Amino acid sequence: MSGGYLLLATILVPLAAAGLLVVTPQRFPNVVRAIALAAAATMFALSVWVFVAFQTGSGGYQLTLRWDWIQNVGILGAHGISVYLGVDGIAAPLVLLTGIVILAGTFVSLKIDRRNKDFFILLFVLVAGVFGTFTALDMFVFFFFYEVAVLPMYLLIGVWGSTRKEYGAMKLTMMLVGSSALIFIGIFAVFTEAGRGTFDLPTLWGIHYSPAFQKTFFPFFMIGCGVLAGLWPFHMWSPDGHMSAPTAVSMLHAGVLMKLGAFGIIRLGIQLLPEGAKFWMPALVVLATINAAYGAIAALSQRDFKLMTGYSSVSHMGYVLMGLATLNVVGINGAVLQMFSHGVMTALFFLCIGALYDQAHTREIPAFSGIAQKMPLWAGFFVLAGMASFGLPGLSGFVAEFNIFVGLFRTYPVLGGIAVFVAAITAAYVLRMFAIAFFGELNPRWASLKEISVAESIGAVMLCGAIFFMGLWPSPFVERIATAVTHLPGVTG
Amino acid sequence: MIPLDQVLVFSGILFALGVYGVLTRRNAIAILMSVELMLTAVNTNFIAFGVFHRPSLAVGLVFAVFVITVAAAEVGLALAIILRIYRQRTTANVDEVDILKW
Amino acid sequence: MVGMNAAWLLPAIPAGAFALLLLVRNFLPRKGDWVAIGAVTASFVLFFFVLHDLMTRLGPNFHGVSTGFTWLKIDNFVLRVGFFTDPIAIVMLAAVLVVSLMVHVYSTGYMHGDSRYGWFFTVLALFTAAMSTLVLADNLLLLYVAWELVGICSFLLIGFWWERQSAAEAAKKAFVTTRVGDVGLLIGVILLWKKVGTFDIQTVLHAATSGQIGHTYLTVALLFMLLGAMGKSAQFPFHVWLPDAMEGPTPVSALIHAATMVVAGIYLLARMLPAYMVITGLGTLIMVIGMITAIGAAVIACAQTDIKRIIAYSTLSNLGFMFVAMGAHALTGGMFHLLTHAFFKALLFLGAGSVIHAVETQEVGDLGGLWRKMPITMGTFVIACLANAGLPVFSGFFSKDLVLEGVMHGNTPYYVALLAWVFLSGIYTARLFMLTFFGPSRDHHRYEHAHESPPNMTLPLVVLAVLTLLAGWLALDSVGRALGFPGGVGEFVFVHEPEAYRFSFTVAFAATSAGLLGVLATMYLYWGGGPERARRFADYSPDVYALIRNKFYVDELYQAGINYGVLGLSHAVAWFDRYVVNDTGVNGTAQLTGWLGYRLKFLQNGKLPTYALAMIVGVLVMAIVALSMHS
Repeated sequence: MSGGYLLLATILVPLAAAGLLVVTPQRFPNVVRAIALAAAATMFALSVWVFVAFQTGSGGYQLTLRWDWIQNVGILGAHGISVYLGVDGIAAPLVLLTGIVILAGTFVSLKIDRRNKDFFILLFVLVAGVFGTFTALDMFVFFFFYEVAVLPMYLLIGVWGSTRKEYGAMKLTMMLVGSSALIFIGIFAVFTEAGRGTFDLPTLWGIHYSPAFQKTFFPFFMIGCGVLAGLWPFHMWSPDGHMSAPTAVSMLHAGVLMKLGAFGIIRLGIQLLPEGAKFWMPALVVLATINAAYGAIAALSQRDFKLMTGYSSVSHMGYVLMGLATLNVVGINGAVLQMFSHGVMTALFFLCIGALYDQAHTREIPAFSGIAQKMPLWAGFFVLAGMASFGLPGLSGFVAEFNIFVGLFRTYPVLGGIAVFVAAITAAYVLRMFAIAFFGELNPRWASLKEISVAESIGAVMLCGAIFFMGLWPSPFVERIATAVTHLPGVTG
Repeated sequence: MIPLDQVLVFSGILFALGVYGVLTRRNAIAILMSVELMLTAVNTNFIAFGVFHRPSLAVGLVFAVFVITVAAAEVGLALAIILRIYRQRTTANVDEVDILKW
Repeated sequence: MVGMNAAWLLPAIPAGAFALLLLVRNFLPRKGDWVAIGAVTASFVLFFFVLHDLMTRLGPNFHGVSTGFTWLKIDNFVLRVGFFTDPIAIVMLAAVLVVSLMVHVYSTGYMHGDSRYGWFFTVLALFTAAMSTLVLADNLLLLYVAWELVGICSFLLIGFWWERQSAAEAAKKAFVTTRVGDVGLLIGVILLWKKVGTFDIQTVLHAATSGQIGHTYLTVALLFMLLGAMGKSAQFPFHVWLPDAMEGPTPVSALIHAATMVVAGIYLLARMLPAYMVITGLGTLIMVIGMITAIGAAVIACAQTDIKRIIAYSTLSNLGFMFVAMGAHALTGGMFHLLTHAFFKALLFLGAGSVIHAVETQEVGDLGGLWRKMPITMGTFVIACLANAGLPVFSGFFSKDLVLEGVMHGNTPYYVALLAWVFLSGIYTARLFMLTFFGPSRDHHRYEHAHESPPNMTLPLVVLAVLTLLAGWLALDSVGRALGFPGGVGEFVFVHEPEAYRFSFTVAFAATSAGLLGVLATMYLYWGGGPERARRFADYSPDVYALIRNKFYVDELYQAGINYGVLGLSHAVAWFDRYVVNDTGVNGTAQLTGWLGYRLKFLQNGKLPTYALAMIVGVLVMAIVALSMHS
């Protein structure tokens, strides 16, 4: 039980920090920064603690905490809605991911000087939502935090964004909230069908729903959560939203929020409705393959750094969904690894792009040339992220993608072949971008570019560390993930 | 004791009167009064069902008290609004007050 | 006693050097070049201990020794880091470590004063580690990992002077082209794993040869694998990246793009040869691919004017030759040619580097007469050229003859084509050294400034020249036995049965005559008045000359394919995404909602009784529906 307070703390620390920031006067921006940094560092420490405290030997749901909130009222029975938190092997790495990305994002955001207090308040509310979703074991609480994580995005993009920010913010919010409606329908359908008067997820997972029901309602979760995971053809919010979002928000969004979608498919889809999952997975794997190939091909001809990275995210989330759709241990393992890997890698991408944009005020790839001469360290980080993205061995992307490929070859060999080929396309667009913008002769227009700042470097080094850590020593991740994945219903060996 | 169906007939008539009033009257105060009639009809039903079906529990009565409370608050609010409208437009005719649209 | 179970140290030492250099190279004296050199030297010394141990264990039932540990385990899916030492690996390892050490030493001179001197050695150390891992890998997955790592080292080193746009483009081209092949390799690896359930090479080979894998399945898997080998070893049609890779510093070309990385494809085929031998048609396919590459590249090499590109096409040509050897299942000859080729081609490149260092141009048209200025470079370079042309006593002679003998049996057309290849090799090598070192100097200014390279550059040249002269004799049984091997190379590296060395006079005579003919004919063309005669020769048929000069327009073809095919598809997808998915799908939904609101807003007329009526009608309808459903 005592461990449960750890998870509660991951949610309460950002909320408390947000509360503290509310009462901090706007005229002390440095105090705001100090509070934000301290809070983010605490979250990072807590997330590491959660990851380490997770016992790989025993598996299951650990660090649980359960407070009944509403019960025996109206339609609700015992444990109707409870604050029920706990992590399994899938959630633990994702909590760690959130901790890493928020700390790196906070380092990057220190330089924001327009209403930085409000920015951090919204950012921390969002993070509280993310932590809550990853740790929730109650369907109602899950959905609540899911929405909390999505909504602050509108203001964050609309106020601090760039490049058609109102459009991007609106589109993102409308699509995500629209998809939430589907999840909502699914949640209530399951609640009613179960007839136990509880939103308690472990109870609901233990019930066998009729195949017809499972097949009917799995798509609600698949598409509802899939939209947040960038499922084709509902991915359009991703490139445009990322293009408009401020750096830290892009990092958090592509790095962590998109994983909420995939995580939702596991928690609500595969775990609740395994037979529905089995029925619909061929459809999902086809859509996901389109995701991967289409995102990569579209990225080849993008001219904006962030648009390219947005499409790259679509492509990589396609891998995640493909891994999930294999419904075998190795594939889903790979999918979860890829969630982490893509999280840190794309956060590093956006961090670097943000660092450049703040100086250059343009993100047109062809407008740059040879800027690695002016920003060698920055280019180093960017190249590392790029290499992780096309799955270079020794970096996180390889471990993840390889597992996904192996999983795919077990179930869908042809699509597995396509997925492997997409990795080559990924190399092509990443290297194309490097060759155009970073290398070659220095365009004199950029002679005054400066090296990445210290705060940004710290964030980047953290993300690089995570990339190397997982790439060289994946066992801590795999041990945790495997404990959960092997016990997912309907998942074959 | 009065049988349940007689009470229901009574409340039905009361409700129908209220509906008729809301639909036909153009004076805001009269509409408000008709709404109160409908609420009274509902209250009557609550009390009647409560007494007849669950005499041991006071659920129906409790609900009626809630409705009265809400209705009182509502009337307070509505009258205030109507007063403001009358002050501004020197009319309480709802047909002439139609700017709250699209 | 340090023995074969210490084989893991061979890659581990340079890997440690890489990690050290990556972090602290800027704080070390001389930017830490001595760390990298020391690490490679240590590996090199260790190599002899491993070799010695291997020799003592060699016997009829010996296949190799495996050591390692588990890296990742998911359920029953195990990824291992394991090292397997056997004669094939030892031969390749010898090439890797010798050339790597020589290139390290040479680079202290060639790269002296470069702004990224430390970084150069950092990547070289990583490359050495990755290449040794590739050679020693006991499972296909580790092999793939190392395969990718040497690829990225190649990328980093081709693009070492990335301030030049051409270098950046070449690096990208090299990586992406090989990566397309690697897709095939990875698919092949996973397909084999799916059937056999392990990545372990020996188990996979056993499964393949004992017929556990269906023939169709095995063919598909091996074909995919072949793609990987073709990409890495720059076989037609993946060959386009290798000449462009000459944008990298010359020591890199010697190490990666001549001696070691590019032969990884041949090494893979050699490793998997028992499996390839199961499927009959595959050998012919490999031979055809190799032959196209060998002849085509040799022809192109005759008309190039960039000294490094000539050598690059020569490398391509030799890679094709080795492919033919593998296709003919001539493992001994192929691996032996791999070794000798590593020495003499590295020597050629390092010699070319010495020339470039001296005259700062790569155009052979601007060279000439350098033998007076650079005697050591000239001497070693000519030795390498003669080895490349396969003239007797030089190492190329022995290895080439071994391959020719292997091909001759039952593959007469290929044998004849290879003789033509030998002739062509003679032509371009003779042209190369004639234009570079002999004849009058064509750029007087450069000639005046030319000078012999410093000792740290000439020493590796001399060492490699000695190896080029001596390595070939290893083919002879008596020499092999004197050195402690069970016999000549045929009794050391073989597929099924060891074979004693047989000198075939017919083959030796035919090949030597073809080579000598090419050399002498070319020397006649370029002797005396410089390239005048050769130019007249080219003018006989300008169209053919232009075709060869422009490398059969393969690069242009690819560029068109990329511009119109790949990028066209990308633009189409991007357009579809923007205008169909986004503007129609997403914005269309938003606009439809707005339009509906506009059309339906008359319902919201602001009149209270209307709303009240709507409510009441609604309640009535719901009540009727509810009642009718209830009853």
